[in-house]
Amino acid sequence: MSQPTPRPSLLTPDRILAILTKAAASTILLMLAALLIILTLAALPSIQTFGRNFLIGHDWRPNEIQQSLHAQSGQTEIKILPPSFGALPVIWGTAVSSFLAILFAVPLSFGAALFLVRATTRWLAEPISFLIEFLAAIPGIAFGLWGLFILCPFLQQHIEPPLNAAFRAIPGLTWLSTTNALSGHDMLAAGLILAIMIVPIITAISRDVLAAVPPAQVQAAVALGATWWQTCQEMLRHARSGLFGAVILGLARAAGETMAVAMVIGNSNRINLSPLAPAQTMSSLLVNEFPTAGDLHRSALMEIALILLVMSLLFNITARYLVVGKPPQVQTP
Amino acid sequence: MTPSTHNSLAAAKSRLMFALCALSTTAILALLILAIATTISTGAHSLNRDFFRLNPIPPGMDHSPGGMRSALLGTAILVTLASLLAIPIGLLTGIYLAEYDTTSHLATPVRFVCDVLAGVPSIVVGILGYELLVRPLGSFNAWAGAAALAFLMIPIIARTTEEMLRLVPASYREASMALGAGKAKTIFQIVIPAAAGTVTTGIMLAIARAAGETAPLLFTTLLSQSLNPNQPFPSLTVQIFDYATGASRPQQSLAWAGILVLVSLIFVMNLGVRLATRARR
Repeated sequence: MSQPTPRPSLLTPDRILAILTKAAASTILLMLAALLIILTLAALPSIQTFGRNFLIGHDWRPNEIQQSLHAQSGQTEIKILPPSFGALPVIWGTAVSSFLAILFAVPLSFGAALFLVRATTRWLAEPISFLIEFLAAIPGIAFGLWGLFILCPFLQQHIEPPLNAAFRAIPGLTWLSTTNALSGHDMLAAGLILAIMIVPIITAISRDVLAAVPPAQVQAAVALGATWWQTCQEMLRHARSGLFGAVILGLARAAGETMAVAMVIGNSNRINLSPLAPAQTMSSLLVNEFPTAGDLHRSALMEIALILLVMSLLFNITARYLVVGKPPQVQTP
Repeated sequence: MTPSTHNSLAAAKSRLMFALCALSTTAILALLILAIATTISTGAHSLNRDFFRLNPIPPGMDHSPGGMRSALLGTAILVTLASLLAIPIGLLTGIYLAEYDTTSHLATPVRFVCDVLAGVPSIVVGILGYELLVRPLGSFNAWAGAAALAFLMIPIIARTTEEMLRLVPASYREASMALGAGKAKTIFQIVIPAAAGTVTTGIMLAIARAAGETAPLLFTTLLSQSLNPNQPFPSLTVQIFDYATGASRPQQSLAWAGILVLVSLIFVMNLGVRLATRARR
């Protein structure tokens, strides 16, 4: 045996800190792993039972229902429909409500971002930026309350009756109309509330992306005699990948938002083409059904949560690569 | 693009687009002001002493709808527990990312995963909490709620801490090391004090975020009036959700008052953060 060489003590403050920080950093990786593994395990019974049909099935019916059919012979026949778990209605609900949100939010956000970058002085841009960032920090439950008590009644009384009549009257748009009673709790309300929620995110990120456009780009356009709007177009063109990233981050937030949507969307598990009909998103379905779900039903809901997780990962990874070198100023949930 | 100084059509279009941009900004601010004004006018009259003093009373039991005492205490306890877990982990991760191997095989994925986790829908985190801490324990409980909130806070704290520590000039660290201080001493006595104000603002933002979360709590704490942490646990946001979706008028107005309290809190925190970071710049 050789002489023991003097070794530095294992427990100097420097070493302890090095180990602790490394452990904490590793925790972050474990957190993502836990999300993916636990949700997949919990969703496994559903994945094994339903397979591919889960994604393309359009009936979400957690309990069996009795349907009375009037047979041709004149007597009533009772048919029992077994439980069925098809996620298409809620995938549809999430896709359409997010699409509506983007449709309403993007023009407003880009307009405001251009205004903040190109049209105001610092003393005006700063407080406006602060208010928009504050709007981004307001929790979903507050938007839900506003939607429920202000937006939905307003839509029901003033917007939806003429809108539905217009859809019905204009040939080619009749598929957008509904024969349901107009409640104000529907896809349109969800899209509008989501739009208000994602406007601050898209505005803040596009403002940063536009502000990062090299001044030479703008000056060159001005020197060539471009108008204010033409220079703006040049900036938009130059920053397009970052702007696209901002939109994707908005989309990610809209698709994952839960409370505000659950409070205004009307909660109906049916696919309906009309934006004036109630619908359901993946996250609002979880809020409505999870507390009372039995075993296979819960596993099916876990699979919905897994789809939601994978979707948000894809959106966020894409956006991160698009908004190059510009970390978002606003934390998205 | 063609130069078109003399093209009056282009000039008119430019003026129109400018007006539309200004209009967009005004519309966003108007919506915000409308929402805040409605919250104040609807919620303020329920925001009396009883709001803070009484527990919620089931509808129909009494003429008074009670207050939100248990819900406010519940949120305070949940956020405190979550902070006890999230602040150390978040800070240490931030220190690792800023002060140790900043481009190592560990730091790059950690930074990436932090950003990705910050974008995970909070309801998914609630469901993870349910699977890990509610189902095995057999009951909704405060610990699961606190853990879910901590899960949401950690990535925010880690990334803001990293960014703020990076703003401290390298010369501070070099000077400290040159005087014989070790790495730990340099970080805790030189770097962190220099960035303390801005690091605190990151923590404040994470706390504000956690206090406003509803969806994760629905799957972990649910709702009750009792402050026993091993049982279903009250929180301001779930109580607001419960009241808002109920049919009782007095309870709906309590929900408005709850939102008023919550939004005011978040406004104050954001304003504090804004002022603190502006003073630093």
